[in-house]
Amino acid sequence: MRTSSICILMLCGLLSSCAGKLDVSGTLPGQPEIYPDYRGVTVPQNIAPMNFSYMGEDPAVLLVDGRGGEMLFRARHGLFRFGSRKWRHLMEENVGCDISLTVAVRQDGSWRACDSFNMTVSADKVDPYLSYRLIPPGYQGWKRMGIYQRNLENYRQRIIADNSLSGENCVNCHTYCNRNPDRMLFHARAEFGGTFFIDGKEIEKLNTKTDSTISALVYPYWHPSGKYVAFSVNATRQSFFNHDPNRIEVFDTASDVVVYDVESHNVFWSPLTRSSQMFQTFPTFSPDGKWLYFCGCSPVGNMPDGYAEAHYGIYRIAFNPEDKTFGDSLECLYDGEAEGKSASFPRISPDGRYLAFTKHGYGNFSIWHKDADLWVIDLSDGALHSLTTANSDDVDSYHSWSGNSRWLVFSSRRDDGLYTRPYITHIDENGNESKPFMLPQRNPRRFYKDLMVSYNLPEFMEGPVRVSPHRISTVMRKGKATDVTPGQ
Amino acid sequence: MNPFALAYREQQQLFLYDKGYLAATLLKAGGLSTLISRFIVQFFWNPVIALVVTALLLALSSYMLWAFARTSRRDWRSLALCLVPACFVGASLSDNSLHFDFLISLILIEAGLVIYKNIPSRKIFYGILITVVLYAAAGPASLIFALCALIYVSGDGFPSFVRALTIPAVAVVSGLVSYMLGGSPTLGHALTPAFHYNLDTAAPLSHWTAWVSIPAVYALSRLKNRKIILPAGIVLFAVSLISANAISRKIERKSNITGFEYEYYTVNERWDDLVQSCRRHVWSPGTANYMNLALAYKGKLTENIIRLDNRGVSSLLLIPEASSVDVRVAHIMFAMGNFAAAQNVAFNAMFCSEGYSPSMLKMNAQIELMRGDYDVADKYLSLLSKSLHYKKWAQAQRRFLWDEKAVAEDAFLSCGRKDFNLSDGFAMHVNPIDEVMLVVEANPYDKRAMDYTLSFLLLSKDIAKIHAFVDKYWGVGALETLPPAVQEALVFYSEYSRNFEGVEPVSIEWCLSHGVSPSIVQKFNAFQTASLKSNGAAPSGYRDTYWNYLLYKQL
Repeated sequence: MRTSSICILMLCGLLSSCAGKLDVSGTLPGQPEIYPDYRGVTVPQNIAPMNFSYMGEDPAVLLVDGRGGEMLFRARHGLFRFGSRKWRHLMEENVGCDISLTVAVRQDGSWRACDSFNMTVSADKVDPYLSYRLIPPGYQGWKRMGIYQRNLENYRQRIIADNSLSGENCVNCHTYCNRNPDRMLFHARAEFGGTFFIDGKEIEKLNTKTDSTISALVYPYWHPSGKYVAFSVNATRQSFFNHDPNRIEVFDTASDVVVYDVESHNVFWSPLTRSSQMFQTFPTFSPDGKWLYFCGCSPVGNMPDGYAEAHYGIYRIAFNPEDKTFGDSLECLYDGEAEGKSASFPRISPDGRYLAFTKHGYGNFSIWHKDADLWVIDLSDGALHSLTTANSDDVDSYHSWSGNSRWLVFSSRRDDGLYTRPYITHIDENGNESKPFMLPQRNPRRFYKDLMVSYNLPEFMEGPVRVSPHRISTVMRKGKATDVTPGQ
Repeated sequence: MNPFALAYREQQQLFLYDKGYLAATLLKAGGLSTLISRFIVQFFWNPVIALVVTALLLALSSYMLWAFARTSRRDWRSLALCLVPACFVGASLSDNSLHFDFLISLILIEAGLVIYKNIPSRKIFYGILITVVLYAAAGPASLIFALCALIYVSGDGFPSFVRALTIPAVAVVSGLVSYMLGGSPTLGHALTPAFHYNLDTAAPLSHWTAWVSIPAVYALSRLKNRKIILPAGIVLFAVSLISANAISRKIERKSNITGFEYEYYTVNERWDDLVQSCRRHVWSPGTANYMNLALAYKGKLTENIIRLDNRGVSSLLLIPEASSVDVRVAHIMFAMGNFAAAQNVAFNAMFCSEGYSPSMLKMNAQIELMRGDYDVADKYLSLLSKSLHYKKWAQAQRRFLWDEKAVAEDAFLSCGRKDFNLSDGFAMHVNPIDEVMLVVEANPYDKRAMDYTLSFLLLSKDIAKIHAFVDKYWGVGALETLPPAVQEALVFYSEYSRNFEGVEPVSIEWCLSHGVSPSIVQKFNAFQTASLKSNGAAPSGYRDTYWNYLLYKQL
């Protein structure tokens, strides 16, 4: 008898013994089709129960085999639901190793087992909170949107800012200083517009449009000291395609990068970050705060017709936070024009080792580009590689690192081609990624099917934002804005 | 109350038979009234049902108030008084910015009052309890309950009145708590009828009157001089009826009431009724848009485009300000086969203050089926399947999911899919004429796109482009016969081209070989003769010709 047959028979016997009344009499070829596809994923030990659905019509059971022994779960309407206590024990018992999951389905009156699949429980914990904007994937409207925070250790989601409390305006670009929820900022546009800085329980409203900048402050990134925030200022336009599967193109007709001083309310810049010779956008500070990274490309004059001619690279310039001065030269880390590609959203791991970015064919707004994939530059040697296992055929774009540099959350349209969902991938110390998993939900199949909004800008957080949505909306509506001024 | 304005409410929500939806709605402040109102409004797809149900609810509201206010079952004297609030509620409902749960919340608090009246003891305790429950169920209308309960208890003497002040105080505290918990955006929303409005809309005085009149009417009904209650009630009712009528008319004048009617016929694809409706109302670019849309679906657009009082391309498509969402544009773009542009509007219009717009969801589902993005189409169809009225339609559409053959065999979807094969330009980027011409280039068999293109060209008086268009598409696809207006345009262009230098001459023979009837040529000769005799004025007998439009109609 062949070894595989012996294994299957042993498995059948195991299922029989665990299930008690279950009499597993055979096998089915291949692994089961499940939603979300959690087969072979690596998960943090502190993640919420990874409930999933068996996509077949037949009654199904699941055998989970780990260090602590076997557990049997029966599917209800296809859904395998793990109790939070059982799940926590399962994770704790199997830290650093694999658990085996076997789905058996009842066909023609008998139970048959599909091929098993594994789930690796990583010893690396993930930050306990994730914040994101929920927004319809519509083209221009924002009737409903809000910034939310989700506890990754359970399914609880709470509002940070909801536009139903502030005249259905646009809220966007939430970002945190080193994932600290007490140091946050976001923008609101249209009515009650402004930029809102949250420091502990204090909220400050700013008017960030100055005479010297081409727009109000746009894409932000906090300096690790919390004293500065780098912003882009962009003259942005949006058009939608007649036919192209990418549906929408967002492009800049001009853009610069500036740095905002949180204490003095001033913005300042280098001639190299604010130059008519280059479109500069998506700024990022290095974890030591001594470098300012951003995306840049040669100006394209004939927008929107020339939208595909914009090829952004990744550049950096030295930054001295003590005297707010910049270096006198730009260093190119990725030359988009030479390669005929474009880079967006450079994000450096907190340990300073890797720079993750989105690579795509052209332009800078990769979240509508189906060819957008995640890539990583090893900053120790400049080597560049694609996160192939994490990427998909659809959009894989905006990403952020966990505090321990071992997890990368990103938004992807791979689920249905239109609505972005958050996926989390493990990055090991050598920069190798694991198969990503979709953000767990109580009933993911039903939840994601019913959800008519996209997850936008997923950002890890060390804890929850403590300021109430009510207070935020009150400041939005009634707060007096402080004007941001240009100059040192 | 206009039945079409009520029916429009149905297009602003999608009541879902779904546990998650029901729970999420119930768990908000005033959730029960919202849930009941959305349940009722789902049946408003029929304007007659909408009107009858609303009238019955107003009658129920009056009856409940009377059941509370009357001293006995035969106390008819207070009935007329109890009709007063319903007059103002009815008038308020003419304003579509006011959510329908305004009426339901009042019925709930009136039901609470009837229950309260029948509680034999511990009136203040139960008053407080019911106030809190009603705030959760009906929102700040519980303040009305609290005031009525206060008036009720005040009959027991001053000490009772003072103790009973705790009931409205609890109502105010409930509002404050709701506000602090983020249940209402402002304190005003937490404590006033503004609760039933979106943040950006102010509650007019009439809606306050509807609210305030309930405790006022109840206070009047408790007058010790019982003889004056009936005459006072009749007078007040009459005054209220007249005032409410005036308010209602004022609101309807401000809101686009004809637009609701056009929209109703459009979403229900009742093109004959839409034509009749447009004929009944004052001609405007908006009316022209809907009339031409209906004619396009009836296949009679080009033959009527000149007969009607169309002036310029805005008669076919009036593009609103860039920031506004206008479902009319979505419907017209959809009819023209410019699906990317239609979807741009439909995506934005899909989200309404009360939920999802069913017609925009349907449009998005159909466009996704045409795109072949079945996962997304499935998402929208699943949502529609959870409603009562759209379930059947959605289930019928499900047969197209992941079935390329079924899509190819469906005349509408396969035509739409071919329309999508246009070049990868930006939609709504140049102008509607050029974009619909791209649709025709992609799919010359789309008759509606062909009709719209010819109509745009005719109304823009661009006879050179009409010639080029016919030259390219004559005998191809849907252009098998030329509408009379196009024939007239070609004959005119033939004459024009032969008399102006720099224009390549087009012979009459070319016209005759491209679908122009000899009778049109003869008629044009007669028109020329008549024009010469009329000394610059439009010759009589040619009013419905393209020549009249081209030469004499001011745009």
